[in-house]
Formats: sequence, C-alpha cells, structure tokens
Amino acid sequence: MEGYARVQAVLDRVRPLLQADGGDIVLIEVLNNRATVRLTGKCAGCPSAHVTLHVGVEMAIRAEFPELEELIVAQA
Amino acid sequence: MTRPRDTHEPFTVDSVVVGRSARMRGVFDFVRVIADSETSVLITGESGTGKEMVARLLHHWSSRRSKPFVPVSCAILSETLIESELFGHERGAFTNAIKERPGRFELADGGTLFLDDIDDVPLSMQVKLLRVLQTRTVERLGAVRSIPVDVRVLTGSKRDLRQLVAEGTFREDLLYRLNVIPVQLPPLRERTEDIPLLIDHFFGRYFRARGKEAKPMSPAMLEAFMRYPWPGNVRELENACERIAQTCICDSVVAGCVPASILFHRAAGAAAPASAATPVHPGVSLDDRIREVETSLIGWALKASDGNKSKAAVLLKVKRSTLGDRIKKLGLGHLESRDGGAALVPQRADGLPGIRQ
Repeated sequence: MEGYARVQAVLDRVRPLLQADGGDIVLIEVLNNRATVRLTGKCAGCPSAHVTLHVGVEMAIRAEFPELEELIVAQA
Repeated sequence: MTRPRDTHEPFTVDSVVVGRSARMRGVFDFVRVIADSETSVLITGESGTGKEMVARLLHHWSSRRSKPFVPVSCAILSETLIESELFGHERGAFTNAIKERPGRFELADGGTLFLDDIDDVPLSMQVKLLRVLQTRTVERLGAVRSIPVDVRVLTGSKRDLRQLVAEGTFREDLLYRLNVIPVQLPPLRERTEDIPLLIDHFFGRYFRARGKEAKPMSPAMLEAFMRYPWPGNVRELENACERIAQTCICDSVVAGCVPASILFHRAAGAAAPASAATPVHPGVSLDDRIREVETSLIGWALKASDGNKSKAAVLLKVKRSTLGDRIKKLGLGHLESRDGGAALVPQRADGLPGIRQ
C-alpha cells in the first residue's frame, strides 16, 4: 500500500481523540517518506499542542510506517 | 541520596491521603492503627506508589512526630557510601573523610528512619544492618565506640523480599527483623477509580503554584488517563499533571495539552501486544501475492528443467496443460526458452525460489 494510505490509516485511529476535543489533524501529503500534516480546530493555534501532537503522531505513525523519515507539522 | 522534598508545600495528612478506592482506604486505616507502635514496618510497592508517603504518615501519626523523619534511599552502588551514609564516619576513616560526620541513624535519633530501596542493599551490608537493628547501636566508620540510637526503622521495597530470600540475595533473618508489619501498596492501574481524584489534587497544587485556577479536563482526556496503565504509578501521574499545569494555555485540558505517551497509548497498545492476534497491517492483495508466488515457482521449475514444460510440470506436481495455462495467464512464455527465469527469480540457498515478503 502506498505511504499516503498507510499514514492516513494511522491518523484515522488517533483522530477520534482529537475530534472529541474539537480538534483534528489533516494529512496534506506523503512525499519521499516525509509526511506533512496540519492541525485544525481547537488545538491549531496552541504551541504546546504542536509539540505534544508532533511527538505523539510521529510515534504512532512510525510504529506502523517505519520508513517515515520525518513528520512535518505545517503551521496553520 | 536523600529524596528532594518539595518545600513549597507543608506536609499535611490531607496533602498525601488521596484515594477513595477500597484498597487505599484499607491501607490508610491500617496505617493509622499501626502508626503509634514501635515495630518495624516493611512497605512494599512498585516505584511511584507512595512508599515514602506512607512512611511519612506513619511518622506523622506516631508519638515520634516532633522528632526527625529521615528518609534514605539505599539504591546506591558503592557499599562504603551506604555505610558512611547510614552509620557516619570519623575523621580520616577513608580518603575523603576530612570531617567527622554522623550517619542517618544518628540523625534520626528519637524519630523515624525510612530506608527505601532496601531490596538494593548488598548482602554484606545486610549483615551490618541486622546487627544495628539488633543492638540498637551504631559504629561510625573508623570509630571504636558504639553510639546508642533510638530509632524506629521503616523500610521500603519495590520487590517482594521473600522472592529475594528464595533467590539467595536477601538475608532471611533481616527480612523477619524488618517485616514485622507488612504494608502493600497497590499499583495505580489497580485502583483506577482514584485517578480523577488524584488529577484534581495535583491540578489544584500545580495550577495554584503557577498562580492559576485549576482547569477542568475534557471527558476524552479523562478517559485517556483512565486507560493509560501508569507504569510509574502516582509519581508519573503527578509529573503529567505538573507538566500540563505548566504548559496548558487553553480554557480546559484537551487533547493537545496531554503528554503524547498518554494520549496515544491506546494506539500504541493496539499495535504492540494485540498484534499477535489481530495485526494492524496496511493490508495485502491476495491476488497479487498469489501471482507473485506462482511466477516465482514456475520460473524456478522452468529453469530447473531447462525450459522443458513437461519436466517443470512434474516438479510442480501439476498437469502439463495446467502449467501451460498458468504460463499463458502470467505472461511467462519467454521463460520456456533455455535461459529464461534466472534473472527474474531470487534464489535461496536451498535452490528453491526466494519469495519476496
């Protein structure tokens, strides 16, 4: 399966937690094993959330997509 | 060696007695009963379950409360260090002993000594400890005289000392001396009903320390906290709460405010232990994989039989006509020639074709 779908599958599993609190995470692209996501909704503007979710989402993706080179959290 | 104490908050019973679960209530009731006795108490519990807190409670509720409470962790490697720390030393007892120094036993005179991590004390040191407990006197390193001490000794262990006795790493006689009254502290994951109470307690403390009102936690995050197994127990929960209180800038504690390890634990947990039964996998195409295997095996058979279809069919235990159909279907006609197939199929050491994973 291609990278985009695999990363999306991971995000789909962590997404309910964010959505429950009025936030969300959008996968923009996966290019050369670099995934770019954007936070939307409640946590989008919070610097703490960016750090927390960056680490957490990267961890979750890497567990199932070990080829991941880098997770980029695009600024809103 | 000595645990750093938080100085910003005075020690009160209310500040440590947090837990409504039946097990914790049982522990607190028991602690109250045994507090004012003079006997040794062995407090067993995983790291972060609050062994020192219970020791403090025991001291606080005893008639020794106006005397010192001295906590010491024995989890240090050098034996000489433990010895000089516990028993003290005279000037010149060893290379760096410039001044004489009283040990923790002496410092705790009249009060309570809490020896934590007693399971880390080496065997040779256990003998000395046993002697002190029996004679109630200590000898500083390099000293000739014994000093009588009046100390109630409480000990903490993260491992079951009986088990260590069975393994031969802990002295049985010392165990009996220490374990007159055992107190067992449950891990946090076995009293999850206390988690909301603990969160309120620590939020109150740490938001206040930052000069803010404690914020409510979203239901989803409370659920994540309840689900997380807390291997570091209450200490880990306290650290998480402190971190949130320091970093959260929104109105309530939501997904983005919570440490990633807790937030995504379910996701990680689903991928790790459950994977044996239900692997989380991006999925495979059965047809593609079968085609791959067929191509591999037919390529191998044709090569092994020098491109002879009849011989290849025997190797593959199929009819010649069946093999012909498959070759056509897979578009492998070119392999029927003499040197076909070799480049296509990765070979294994045993001569069978390698199958790509």
